[in-house]
Amino acid sequence: MRAETLKGHLDFLLLAIVADEPAHGYRIIEALKRRSAGAFDLPEGTVYPALHRLEQSGLLASSWASGSGRRRRVYRLTARGRRALAGARREWRGFTKAVEAVVA
Amino acid sequence: MIEPYLRELEAELGAVGIRGSLRRRILAETADHLHESGDATSFGEPKLVAFRFADELATSGARRVAFTSFLALAPAGIAYTVLVGLIRTWPDIASARLLPVAIGAALAMVLAPQVAFAAGLLTVAQAWRLRSETSAPAAEVTLLRRRAAVALGSGVAAFAGIAVYAYEYSSGLAGWWATTAFVVSGAALIPIGGAAVALARNAQVRPQAAGSAGDVFDDVAPIVDRIPLNLRGRPWRFCLLVATAVAVAALIGGGLDEGPRNAVAEFVAVCVAFAALGRFLGLRH
Repeated sequence: MRAETLKGHLDFLLLAIVADEPAHGYRIIEALKRRSAGAFDLPEGTVYPALHRLEQSGLLASSWASGSGRRRRVYRLTARGRRALAGARREWRGFTKAVEAVVA
Repeated sequence: MIEPYLRELEAELGAVGIRGSLRRRILAETADHLHESGDATSFGEPKLVAFRFADELATSGARRVAFTSFLALAPAGIAYTVLVGLIRTWPDIASARLLPVAIGAALAMVLAPQVAFAAGLLTVAQAWRLRSETSAPAAEVTLLRRRAAVALGSGVAAFAGIAVYAYEYSSGLAGWWATTAFVVSGAALIPIGGAAVALARNAQVRPQAAGSAGDVFDDVAPIVDRIPLNLRGRPWRFCLLVATAVAVAALIGGGLDEGPRNAVAEFVAVCVAFAALGRFLGLRH
């Protein structure tokens, strides 16, 4: 899938992945690929700016953790992020339902 | 393979103004990622990754600073209005300790709040227009920062002006008013200063996204498009409309004695400010 198609939905997807469990960047990107069956295979470096931006907006929080002998930044959803995710889910379901009704 | 990539990314981040702890954090996260994946090519070109960071962080940061600036200025504006409203008798202009300083302070007291108000409204309107943008064009971010800077700078000038005015005319003003003016000015400068520091930090990041900035007609489209005067693309017509509205308000507020004089002064002031700051604040091209 082209990156352009994904534009506008990336935040929603990242919030949904982090909502399941706190995760570091690599794991989030892997989950994005795995759960989309490879459809969302983005240049990996483009995901980190989005994670930083979501943190700056208060939707994610992060902290350092140790793993595999290295420091890694682990992201988790904030209460505000949880509310934003719930809103985005409602909007997405309404949108897909409407599109489905038109194109089916 | 990882180390050269990190060195290049470090240089590219520095080139777009991302330095210090933020850069160290990005590099640490990238290093962790590359050790996991073992593949630097799928991470993207360092220059593009740095550009992406700059675009996204500059956009969201500038937007946040814009709202913060407005939140700092709005209560300060209310405090200013109350404070000025409490002056029952204006002192004789010649009673100042040092007349040129006093006149400068009085001018700042009168003009700076109006510039702060207008620039603050433009800032928040633009930030609201860009609320869903993840990476706005660099020109748009620059304009947003400029508007916030003018709003905050004018806010500082207004409160500095009122404090100096209180000092200069302390003999003709009530003692409690002068003391209140010093306290309120000091208190107002704290959040305004905080917003200015946040703005200065955000301004270090240099976004790279191409594209032009919108103008005032984009910012206030829901209002402008309802006025049947064909204002879009006609900034001077817009200026005259605003100047007239401000003059009418001054006429009503000033009463028969001072109203007409204030109305003319406000009309001229709005037009002069529009001519002086119009391009800088994205009001006209």
